[in-house]
Amino acid sequence: MTYPRHDLFDDVAVRLDSVSLRYDTSEDILSDIDLVLKPGSFSFLTGASGAGKTSLLKLLYLALKPSRGEVSLFGRSTSNLTRDQLSSLRRRVGVVFQEFRLLEHLSAYENVALPLRVLGRRESDYRADVEELLTWVGLGQRLHAKPPTLSGGEQQRVAIARAVVTQPDILIADEPTGNVDPEMGTRLMRLFLELNKRRGTTVIIATHDLGLVRQVEAPVYRLSNRLLVQDVEFGGEAARRRTDPGLEG
Amino acid sequence: MAKETPLLPVEDVREAALFFVVGALCFLAALAALSAKSTYGAAKSWTAEVQGELTVSLPDVDRRGADEARKIIEQTQGVRTARVLSKDEIDALLEPNFGSRGLPESLPLPQLVAVEADPAVPDMGPTIARNLAEAGIASAVDEHADWAGDVRRVLGVARLTALIAVALLASTAVAVIAFATHAALLARRDIVDVLHLAGARDRFIAGLFERRFWVLGLRAGAVGALMALGASALMIFTVQVHGSRAGLLPELSLDFLDLVILVVTPVIAGFAARFAARMTVIRALKGMM
Repeated sequence: MTYPRHDLFDDVAVRLDSVSLRYDTSEDILSDIDLVLKPGSFSFLTGASGAGKTSLLKLLYLALKPSRGEVSLFGRSTSNLTRDQLSSLRRRVGVVFQEFRLLEHLSAYENVALPLRVLGRRESDYRADVEELLTWVGLGQRLHAKPPTLSGGEQQRVAIARAVVTQPDILIADEPTGNVDPEMGTRLMRLFLELNKRRGTTVIIATHDLGLVRQVEAPVYRLSNRLLVQDVEFGGEAARRRTDPGLEG
Repeated sequence: MAKETPLLPVEDVREAALFFVVGALCFLAALAALSAKSTYGAAKSWTAEVQGELTVSLPDVDRRGADEARKIIEQTQGVRTARVLSKDEIDALLEPNFGSRGLPESLPLPQLVAVEADPAVPDMGPTIARNLAEAGIASAVDEHADWAGDVRRVLGVARLTALIAVALLASTAVAVIAFATHAALLARRDIVDVLHLAGARDRFIAGLFERRFWVLGLRAGAVGALMALGASALMIFTVQVHGSRAGLLPELSLDFLDLVILVVTPVIAGFAARFAARMTVIRALKGMM
């Protein structure tokens, strides 16, 4: 049994207080966003294309600074942290990028092991774990394949394996099942749920795939007109009823 | 599992060009450093030859008077030897000006006394002139100081120029490497971003570039230094073959200090490359959150 690594006083995994974001001098992409994700929570983020889902996620994985407001992770405001402290926080966050961001000169195995190399772990210590993880996502026979030789779905699975290999406290996934078939999508969702339930990993998944949302009873946050609103109804059955009126009553 | 693949892929074309540039700069810097060192040696050697040598010119005396003057000079404290030059020796000295047919008998020539004195004794020229004057002998003493001073000044400027060349070449190498690092950083922004978001600290990312450019600087510097060694050896060989007509280059040789310069050049190039890469990457990363 593995226990969550959250500090006792981390009563909030992610907190956004009146956060706004704009690029250069353009209008706000996000405006006055408030969000609280409890440790061990599982949430969805939805919204139309261009609504700002990826920008919001970038704020969460500390790739961007908000124009206004404050982003806190694990109870710590990120606005006044040193660069080393920010790096330490990033190590507790796993990210599945929409565009995968795999390093093309590294094999699938080496891409998945990358965060472990960053942590300074020895290859002999993590080899078995990485191979097992790649086998679990169906790439056990493609350990040494380079990303350009992998299909979109395979690349996505490598990206997911890389995001979860360090067993992060927060997992942020941007359209994680966009390039895989429904069966693999379900399997990957099971991986996210398992991380969430067994390790207490806080998971937030940005998607416009309502099929994915239907699989889990979880809060759904929706970005619309630069604002973030929480859908009154949750995912799972509620989402199923919402998209399939025939099920109601 | 085989050896880990470097996180920074090798950029064959870009790095070959950079290797060539750094190697060429190191070649020129090593040659300039060797030149600075050899001009220092030459200046020391040439000026040392005339240190303590004086020529006393006696316009109003005959050969006998010259001998008397020589005795007075020899008694001066600090004088080691004094010798009156013969007519043939004076003719030989004036041959470049008057030709080899000899001087007209009617041409009045001063008697000359060649003096070798202790270079550590100050004001030897004025002392000799004063002693001769007290004996009623008019004289003019040439200490070769003007010539030695000119030689020292010219070689000093040459040495300074060579050192400025070394400094300029070294700073050019640093600038080139900084530029190349920046280009590599831009070309590999994807890798830097992924590492950064995976929690890599700035020094970890900078270390990747530092190691890459340290090795490149070291290798290119070694090639440049070897080329400089070859060029110097060729020059020395040429001077030795045509030694009789290359009298101005008596000190040209490769000694231990020259070899130290050649060994140190690639190490300095490696450190400069490492430093430039580190500064460039750290500055670029500061622009990221």
